[in-house]
Amino acid sequence: MLLPYLAIVLLAVVTLYSAVVSFRQKPDGEPAAPGWVFPDAPKRTARIFVGVATLLLAIGLGAWFKINGSSVSPNSIPRSWRFLIPEGYRGWVRVEFEIPGAPPLPAQAGQIVLKIPPTGLLRTSSSEQYGWAEDDYVFYASGGLQPIPDSGAGKLIWGKINNSEHSGSSGKRSYEEFFVGTQQQFKDQAEQSRPNDSPKESHVPAAVP
Amino acid sequence: MLPFSLYFVTAVVTGFHMYALLSVVVYGVPLNPLELVSWLGSFCLLVAAYVSLFRPRAAARVALIACLAMWCFYAPATANFVRAKRDKAPAVSQWMRPPAGAARDTSWRIETACL
Repeated sequence: MLLPYLAIVLLAVVTLYSAVVSFRQKPDGEPAAPGWVFPDAPKRTARIFVGVATLLLAIGLGAWFKINGSSVSPNSIPRSWRFLIPEGYRGWVRVEFEIPGAPPLPAQAGQIVLKIPPTGLLRTSSSEQYGWAEDDYVFYASGGLQPIPDSGAGKLIWGKINNSEHSGSSGKRSYEEFFVGTQQQFKDQAEQSRPNDSPKESHVPAAVP
Repeated sequence: MLPFSLYFVTAVVTGFHMYALLSVVVYGVPLNPLELVSWLGSFCLLVAAYVSLFRPRAAARVALIACLAMWCFYAPATANFVRAKRDKAPAVSQWMRPPAGAARDTSWRIETACL
């Protein structure tokens, strides 16, 4: 919150300073003599010092980006998720993370696979992943996999939220929810659930018939 | 070294501020073109910082132009901020004593928000 105020104060100071330096002249038209506030060009040693400091800064920033970049790409946990949803499922899907005793999420072909059971509630001991990623939604059945559109006119994924809540036994836990169905089903479901939005503890998603 | 330090620190602070404001675009916030102008001004100020090591007077002119570009964003933003602070209605209505001559049990309610 301090940053905007600091930026404005510094900007005002630099504007004033640069305006005075730009137009400062002696009464007879000669440029004014250099001083501490309005110095002449620095000496060669100062320039070398600034150049070396800039080089070190650039190397440091490059190393920092490289370290941070490599921690999310090839060898680390993939961020992209693949939701496998039972074919024909309509309703809310909920994934609860960091549940002790629950199985971890498997990874396949660079994606974390979340196989949603027919109840719509998946509990896992894995942590939630944050950051940029493109998730896939797929219906699964005995016949194979069928992609679910999550954008455009015929999208079937609505109201995706990530949140955390306090549970009585295990403290704070994070979860992710989204709705599977048409826009009309999503609206109908939202209107039905509007009067009572209380039960968060022991929340089990309800499938739409 | 004073011009270099001044220009460099200001360029970094304003540049980071603009970066923070521009980064919310990924959440769907509309892009304000003045923020881009201001960000460009920060970059020019950074250039002016290095130019000031060789030609302080030319660097001061570059810095002045960069500052004017940055004020394109900061001046309206500051004006809006001040206006919002000044025009903010009080949370509760104000009460004051009745004027001389009025009945003693009369209270005068002034809705400051309507003034």
